[in-house]
Amino acid sequence: MSKADLELHDTELDALFAEAQQATPEPSPEFMARLTAEALAEQPQRRAAVKRGGFWSEIWEAIGGAPALAGLAVAGVAGLWLGIYPPAAVTEVIWGASVASDELSPYLSFDMALALEEM
Amino acid sequence: MNVAFDAATAESDEALIAAYVAGDARAARALTARFGPRVFSHAYRLLQDRSEAEDVAQEALLRLWKQAPDWRAGEAKVSTWLYRVTGNLCIDRIRGKRGRASVALDAVAEPEADAPGAEDRLQTQARLSALETALAALPDRQRQALVLRHIEGMANPEIAEIMDMSVEAVESLTARGKRALAQALAGRREELGYVES
Repeated sequence: MSKADLELHDTELDALFAEAQQATPEPSPEFMARLTAEALAEQPQRRAAVKRGGFWSEIWEAIGGAPALAGLAVAGVAGLWLGIYPPAAVTEVIWGASVASDELSPYLSFDMALALEEM
Repeated sequence: MNVAFDAATAESDEALIAAYVAGDARAARALTARFGPRVFSHAYRLLQDRSEAEDVAQEALLRLWKQAPDWRAGEAKVSTWLYRVTGNLCIDRIRGKRGRASVALDAVAEPEADAPGAEDRLQTQARLSALETALAALPDRQRQALVLRHIEGMANPEIAEIMDMSVEAVESLTARGKRALAQALAGRREELGYVES
């Protein structure tokens, strides 16, 4: 019998391949767990979060970062402005249009103030 | 974690990559469950060594995670890219190892001689072992093409993309590989259970 006669036929080789296809090597659960842990550790967002970390960065994130700080600054300046130069309309609403400043003594409003005046 | 569910999620590979980059932990798990076993088994089939296959699979997936933020949709299939990286890593290892030692086959647990179907399993094991040995003796690219075509069951155009060659070159490589394999196994007919009457 020649060497060529001994060679495997196509059908025999195909049967062998089919058997190999069935015998899929499976990774162990431990190895899969390791791969998953590495996938999570390498995730860009998570890596960035771990790098940032820290108490102040958490506070910064909690208040909303730079845009929130800009809003706070505008509100602060506006409050200060209103305190120093209150518009007339605001003064009227608070004190009444005809109230004079010397009528605003707190002593006039309280019994304790009257008692003190009698002393 | 439900690996089966994660692996079977209907989301496309590219959608999962985008979700992975956005920080979705579920996408990280789904991609690992989908590709981890495939990359491992392909590496194992090329290297025939469990521990080395684990190293290669780990490295291939690590490269995917690093590449993910720059992944360009529609340019390459994730699976094709991974098979290419895995194949190249395996060939690097085989070439590095060549000359130092012959390819070590994993020690496979012998089935109990009196267990039901033991004889059949021993025969199958002997056949697969002979196939592994014959594959290991082939040139690297021939082996890679044969494993992709006949064991992973891929179509020639995808193999061409993985191996960065034309479809005609793949056809020629697999044909030559098959012929070489048939010759290499010629003297092992009995061992394979293919005894001519």
